[in-house]
Amino acid sequence: MEQVVVTPASLDEAVAALSARPEAVPVAGGTDLMAAVNSGHLRPAGLVGLGRINELRGWQYQDGHALLGAGLTHARMGRPDFAALIPALAAAARTAGPPQIRNAGTLGGNIVTAAPTGDSLPVLAALEATVVLAGPDGASREVPVSHLLTGLDPLRTGELVAFVRVPLLHAPQTFLKATGRSGPARAIASVAVVLDPARRAVRCAVGAVAPVPLRPLEAENWVASCIDWDGKRRIAPEACEAFGDYVAVACVPAPEPEESAPPAGVVQLRRTVSVLARRALGRALA
Amino acid sequence: MTGPDAATATPPAGTRVPQADPRPHGLGASVPPLDALAKAQGTFPYAADLWAEGLLWAAVLRSPHPHARILRIDTAPAVALPGVHSVVTAEDVPGEALQGRRVHDRPVFASELVRHHGEPIAAVAADHPDTARLAAAAIVVEYEVLEPVTDPEQAFNAPPLHPDGNLIRHIPLCFGDPDIIGDVIVEGLYRVGRQDPAPIGAEAGLAVPRPDGGVELYVASTDPHTDRDLAAACFGLEQERVRVVVTGVPGAMGDREDAGMQIPLGLLALRTGHPVKLVATREESFLGHVHRHPTLLRYRHHADTEGRLVKVEAQILLDAGAYADTSAEALAAAVAFACGPYVVSHAFVEGWAVRTNNPPSGHVRGEGAMQVCAAYEGQMDKLAAKLGMDPVELRMRNVMATGDLMPTSQSVTCPAPVGELLQAVREAPLPPLPVDDTEAAWLLPGGPDGAGDPAAVRRGVGYGVGMVHMLGIEGADEVSTATVRISNGSATVICAAVETGQGFSTLARQIVQEVLGVDEVHVAPVDTDQPPAGASARGRHTWVSGGAVERAAKMVRTQLLQPLAARFGMSVELLSIADGKITSYDGVLSTTVAEALEGKELWATAQCRPHPTEPLDEFGQGDAFVGLAFAAMRAVVDVDIEMGTIRVVEVTVAQDVGRVLNPRRLAARIEAGVTQGVGMALMEDLRTSHGLVQKPGFTGYALPTALDAPDVVIAKLVEERDVVASFGAKAAGAVPVVVAPAAVASAVRSATGRPINRLPIRPQNAIVAQPAPPPPHG
Repeated sequence: MEQVVVTPASLDEAVAALSARPEAVPVAGGTDLMAAVNSGHLRPAGLVGLGRINELRGWQYQDGHALLGAGLTHARMGRPDFAALIPALAAAARTAGPPQIRNAGTLGGNIVTAAPTGDSLPVLAALEATVVLAGPDGASREVPVSHLLTGLDPLRTGELVAFVRVPLLHAPQTFLKATGRSGPARAIASVAVVLDPARRAVRCAVGAVAPVPLRPLEAENWVASCIDWDGKRRIAPEACEAFGDYVAVACVPAPEPEESAPPAGVVQLRRTVSVLARRALGRALA
Repeated sequence: MTGPDAATATPPAGTRVPQADPRPHGLGASVPPLDALAKAQGTFPYAADLWAEGLLWAAVLRSPHPHARILRIDTAPAVALPGVHSVVTAEDVPGEALQGRRVHDRPVFASELVRHHGEPIAAVAADHPDTARLAAAAIVVEYEVLEPVTDPEQAFNAPPLHPDGNLIRHIPLCFGDPDIIGDVIVEGLYRVGRQDPAPIGAEAGLAVPRPDGGVELYVASTDPHTDRDLAAACFGLEQERVRVVVTGVPGAMGDREDAGMQIPLGLLALRTGHPVKLVATREESFLGHVHRHPTLLRYRHHADTEGRLVKVEAQILLDAGAYADTSAEALAAAVAFACGPYVVSHAFVEGWAVRTNNPPSGHVRGEGAMQVCAAYEGQMDKLAAKLGMDPVELRMRNVMATGDLMPTSQSVTCPAPVGELLQAVREAPLPPLPVDDTEAAWLLPGGPDGAGDPAAVRRGVGYGVGMVHMLGIEGADEVSTATVRISNGSATVICAAVETGQGFSTLARQIVQEVLGVDEVHVAPVDTDQPPAGASARGRHTWVSGGAVERAAKMVRTQLLQPLAARFGMSVELLSIADGKITSYDGVLSTTVAEALEGKELWATAQCRPHPTEPLDEFGQGDAFVGLAFAAMRAVVDVDIEMGTIRVVEVTVAQDVGRVLNPRRLAARIEAGVTQGVGMALMEDLRTSHGLVQKPGFTGYALPTALDAPDVVIAKLVEERDVVASFGAKAAGAVPVVVAPAAVASAVRSATGRPINRLPIRPQNAIVAQPAPPPPHG
């Protein structure tokens, strides 16, 4: 089979190239895709390189939201100007692997790869981001990131992840992850916490413990009621601690039957998630 | 080799390296390796970079099961693929069907029984690497899957996995009076995981057929003559017709290279008549090569109320995997060093090495000695806690010195400055606490921008001392041959000692510079046409090959000076050579080396063979070791007691080195060893599930990164020369690996108050239930 690599210079060209060869695979940073190609696990019939599409590499503002290009690299998102806009996403980007990976890997790639340990994913879930998909013939649709990740509303043939719409909340956000070493490593568990003062809401997502990021909605609602929103946004330490446990139990289920004590692995993972959630909320409210 | 051991690695920040002199030369100077720049720039060629015209690519089919009977192998689908030149299985091995480093018990290709996950079954040569891999995958193998034996404790009663039985070796060491009982008794059960040597470059090789029907293997072997002998036997060829040429070695932690890859490679070259190349993937590398023995240790220490050790009882169980390899030797080291560098009058140590269907174990530096060090130092901490004594003081009361007896009844004749080493690390200043040094960025456990919380971080300080043997043991013939040539003011060294990054070629240059006074010294590449020099392991090349180079160089020196001395009527001893000039003691004679040579070439060949050793007898007694090396360490760790994350802040080292031959390289060796030890202590464990290797890759198998490597402070290098060793020097690479895990575990114990009895330390073992205790100091 003839292998074709095209490198379009605009989003429209990229969509057209993908429509012309639906079997081709789009590639941005290639940090996951090319590793699979090099190890022989993947032999794409063609590649559509997205690296030259400048419109995907930055962001713009739209009615209280940021429209982030799918080609934003982790390195770019980790910089201070971006961190001032969406602190949790910047924090996640800074922990996403060694510098070589962060220089190449992109936001869109993180979403499409949808690895359970994808560092940006719990942040996007907590932010309730939506993904703008560009389809053939100028068609464009928006899908909540969780629908895309869970497969509720998957990518269709010929569609590309173009932008990610993220609300600008102008409030503290945190992302914390537990790893097996001090250097860059995949998450054992990660927690993103964002505050939404306008709605008096706390939103939290836990990554790496399940195939997709999990939202502990009850814990979010409960803890939002414990925060003194009109004052200095303080919370009692006990409430913060209880929030951690609440999140952990919600996101790390014990296997059946429920009566017996959960296995050691579950206990340890719950403990890790609990500490992460407590610290993440504590830092967001500090 | 992990990154930090690379010959050219820059030392981690905070390391205090001796200042380099501007033009290093000779022994004791920080002579840099010649290949440092090429390695740093990525231009140094390794085996994976080799190329030959018309080469074919090989791939090996490996077993997906840890234990299975092979019912049928059908290679026809692979042979039928276009581009496939040859497929070989066990039937195609013309010579010996079995190979192995010490014991020939491992089939080249599994034919009836698969004994571990990843055991080679067939190999393919094709005109493209992808074709070769596809063809290997197309081979149909029918298995009858058998229940794997994965628990070494079950191996004793399990049906034999091998015709040789499941027990590879049993040593019941008995020393002293079995009935004596101490006033204080502490017991412990310790587990050490499976460390992978994780060389930075995976296995690779090129086999080229020779016109005489033989074959040349270009591989990164660390023991070329053994590899040649094994390969020749399996090919059914005379040893002379198989030549192993050593290429650049991308890291070696022990016995490098997988014969299960080299022999198929040579077979394919012989059958196809083409050069054949193979580059293993990281996954294959993890499955194919040998690992550190996972070990289970049960200890009982008896002491008197003053803290003096009375008796040590221990049981040590090594999981050897499916094949014997060097497990018998690892067990001997584990049993002999089971009490550590302490004086113990009564010792009863029982050791077993058993077969399982787990990944194969073999020589990784510090074999046996590392596992027991983690256990006996854990026991010393436990004993100190029980006696209410300072753990350093307890150790000081028991340390071994020259002249003491080991539990094998061997007298320690070499320098054994254990007390001095321990004293040095105890007295070294402690690193500042972050609260005292607010300027410095505090790298918390969990990494930069991580989850670490200063309020939950406890600092711990722990100590460890340990010992390791040098050279082969129990009667192994340790010999090396070297040739030195001088002509036109430059010298050449020919010696089959492989430069693995340990610095042998630099040392050989230093020796010749020292003896012959010439600056320009070349070290020839290694192949098996040269006389054997043995394996690059257990510190043998510093001693044995270095000794041979020195003797050969001295013989050349005598040849060079004899005519001059005769002409001037003085003895050779009164002449000295420095900077290419020969001068007499009174300054009357002064000439250059080049003039003295008069256009001649001088050659000399010499051997070095240290004094013989004897095997341990049925009670584990005997003079089994040629030399011993010691080290003491103090580890400082920060532990996040809520998350169980650990960062090693600093490791202070005092080491018994005999003599410093190259200060910078010595520091690099110690840093590399400490870093590997920290990896063993905190993260390195190749997991298996029912005998299947889990996540064989660097995403699943975590190695220490630059952020995990601690500051290594060398507090003291004790230069008490070992009179029997060449230059009086002791090999420095292995002992830091042995001691560092024990010191880190001790520090985590002190930070958390929890019994750390498992390596690597898992987060759940370093979590402290609230309320948290106050920090141990500061």
